[in-house]
Amino acid sequence: MKFKEIAFREPNSKRIYRDYIMRIQQAIKTLNAANQQEILLEINSHIYESLMSNPDSGKEEVAHLLDILEKLGQPEVFLKPLVAEKKLDEATRTFNPIQVIKALVLNIGNGISYIIFTVLYLLLFGFLFLIGAKLFDPENVGFFYRANDICILGYYRSYGVTHLEYEKLGNWFIPLMLVLTVLFYFMITLLLRLKRTLKS
Amino acid sequence: MNEDFTTKWISQLKKGTLSFLVLSILKDGKEYYGYDLINEIKKRTQIDIAEGTLYPLMNRLKKEELVASKWVEQESGIPRKYYTISTLGLHTVNEMKTYWDSLNTTINAI
Repeated sequence: MKFKEIAFREPNSKRIYRDYIMRIQQAIKTLNAANQQEILLEINSHIYESLMSNPDSGKEEVAHLLDILEKLGQPEVFLKPLVAEKKLDEATRTFNPIQVIKALVLNIGNGISYIIFTVLYLLLFGFLFLIGAKLFDPENVGFFYRANDICILGYYRSYGVTHLEYEKLGNWFIPLMLVLTVLFYFMITLLLRLKRTLKS
Repeated sequence: MNEDFTTKWISQLKKGTLSFLVLSILKDGKEYYGYDLINEIKKRTQIDIAEGTLYPLMNRLKKEELVASKWVEQESGIPRKYYTISTLGLHTVNEMKTYWDSLNTTINAI
């Protein structure tokens, strides 16, 4: 099913309509092509049916169109929950990290659970960051431990002194961080998916 | 009277009951497309809803499998998306109605 532009008599109506359609496209561009098409077709249908329902309302075409668009609302606002919901569906289906991040950002205002998921995701990127840091500064980055005193995963150097003697992982640090990154990634995505399944 | 509080309360009430309204209208088994459904809500309830809010709601109802939808081509070349209630939707709206009636009775008794 293809998107078809609505025909207008007045050039100004056409300009207003096109601008509104562009705003819709902008608001939904984060979604996949099928979802974008679905939303665009439905809002376009709404505008068309509204225009046709009362074509001889006595108003000029431009005024009539403006009324319709005003009643629909700003696409950036009314489409926000729809985009957030659809994005989360897309992300949990694909395991694509960029999609998951986008979905979490869009849903961050939709409950405490999404904030927790975002924190877990930040932790995941923390592991990746530590791999880079370890390569850059191998002596001061690692897992430093001394009973009842030190327990640090990351950078440790006190008073300009390196404490390599407390570093416990050595060459295993990078592989372990990689394993943790992958484990966290799958765990977060599966939990998100589980949350979606339980919700529905 | 705290008009601000009342306005917010009315707005929340409308938002909270919109899914009930939509399912109640679809309950008769007739198919509706978005704009048609909005008009039906206005006609039956005099409630002026923000029209754009219907579409996220319909998506949620569809995801919950309370409604089904299908695209139907039109001569104009601009298709309509028709919604119908599902069996699960019918059971759900009946439960909602029972609760609504009981709530209504309770409130009226106060």
